[in-house]
Amino acid sequence: MLETANWIQSFFDLSSDATFIFQADQLVVANQAGQELVNAFDLDLSYLQELAQTAISQQQSKADGCYDCEIINQLPELTIPVDLPPEHTHPLRYTMVYRILSPTHQVYALELKSQAPLDRANQVAQQRMLNQYVNRAYEDERKRISQDLHDSIAQGVYSAIMGVRRLNGEQMDNEERQRVSAMIESQLDDTLREVKEMALDIRPSVLDSFGLLAAIRALAKRLTENSGVIINVIGRADTSDLSTDVQNVLYRITQEAINNALKHANPSEITVILVAHAHYISLEVIDNGTGFDYQANRGFNGHSLGLMNMSERVKSLNGSFMIDSAPDQGTTVTVKFPVIKHTNEQSNGE
Amino acid sequence: MNAEQPQPLHNYQQLVTSLYQQTDYDFVGVALQAPVSPHLTRWLWVAGNQNERFRQIVLRRGIGIAGLVLRTGTPFWHNDILALDLSDRLYSPIARAEDLHSCVAVPINNGPFGTVNGVLLAGFRDEERQVNEQDATKLSQSLI
Repeated sequence: MLETANWIQSFFDLSSDATFIFQADQLVVANQAGQELVNAFDLDLSYLQELAQTAISQQQSKADGCYDCEIINQLPELTIPVDLPPEHTHPLRYTMVYRILSPTHQVYALELKSQAPLDRANQVAQQRMLNQYVNRAYEDERKRISQDLHDSIAQGVYSAIMGVRRLNGEQMDNEERQRVSAMIESQLDDTLREVKEMALDIRPSVLDSFGLLAAIRALAKRLTENSGVIINVIGRADTSDLSTDVQNVLYRITQEAINNALKHANPSEITVILVAHAHYISLEVIDNGTGFDYQANRGFNGHSLGLMNMSERVKSLNGSFMIDSAPDQGTTVTVKFPVIKHTNEQSNGE
Repeated sequence: MNAEQPQPLHNYQQLVTSLYQQTDYDFVGVALQAPVSPHLTRWLWVAGNQNERFRQIVLRRGIGIAGLVLRTGTPFWHNDILALDLSDRLYSPIARAEDLHSCVAVPINNGPFGTVNGVLLAGFRDEERQVNEQDATKLSQSLI
């Protein structure tokens, strides 16, 4: 029995939540975490008691218009948000729980739980889901490439081989030979086009050789051909100064934003605007589709992981990512990256 | 008609116009593969179109309802084509551009040795209207 009491005592001492026990508003005992908290913030315990008292009197008052009383009364104990240190610009967020231990002896406990570990755990969970999403997208892409290779390209080459066999195997006059060779040529042309499209999907070589704007134009042309939606590109930017990483991200965001619009919004027109300003470059992808309620979708519902992924990619390169959308008002995706302009004097080293 | 466009054995414009007038399809169109390199397949003759977006479309073999007809040489039809996702193999840009809920497409076999070199497609915008195998057969017969 004594040993159990000892264990309970050490649990109380080592608990990560700061706990204070009061009798008749006088501090009886505080655990280690509690003492550390008092020392660290130079904390006045009467401040905490005052907060608790206010919360109790709020709860007990029968004032009209207390729409959340129902919810508060459902809580098993009184829970009060506390920022420590008070009136500080960067306070730490705590949750204070008020628990009555013995009403007759006026003994109660105040427990302060830090929300920082919880927040961090949430962040880690979010990161994991994002990783999972990226991995799945990666796997899906490979699946699609493999399917395309098998369905379009292998089949096209196979038909061409059959045509060549026919050319060699059969006795035919000149006119017939011409028709067979025309057929083979058309099949090979189709296959060539598929190969080029796949190469463009995987990694646009235009991006490396002719720059971002040319790559975006090529992308827009191809997606217009595939979707029947008109995609305009307006560009006023010299992107040769941008780092490859930024160019890649801008290209991928354009690709994903257009794909999202085509997938979900049923637009008739999409406009991509890439403009360089004095100290930043901005990319906008605007569609006139159905739009969506961004606030309702920004939570953690699995559908918005694509948006979150875009946002994370931009943020990792110090850019900003914004979405403006409302039902029936279309969607605008805006990305901005800071740019250091190399003026002539600087590049000459003078 | 410029050199890139195939010389039709049929008068396709007349065909789509008369089909459009004699049936209650909301849209009728013919896509043909160009006889010269790069052999792109585009919608060349249409009737009942809402806009000019069809001109932008380049058909891909095996993709979309018309693309499948091009590849397989057999008729295809679908009654809820707009519900399909961009990543779906049957996602059809022409249905999207023309707002067609149901489409039926049949092959045009005027390529060398009777190979498929085009597609005749017809569709309804009205969600209530459905297409079936009979519609495909009738459409094929109109090509003869």
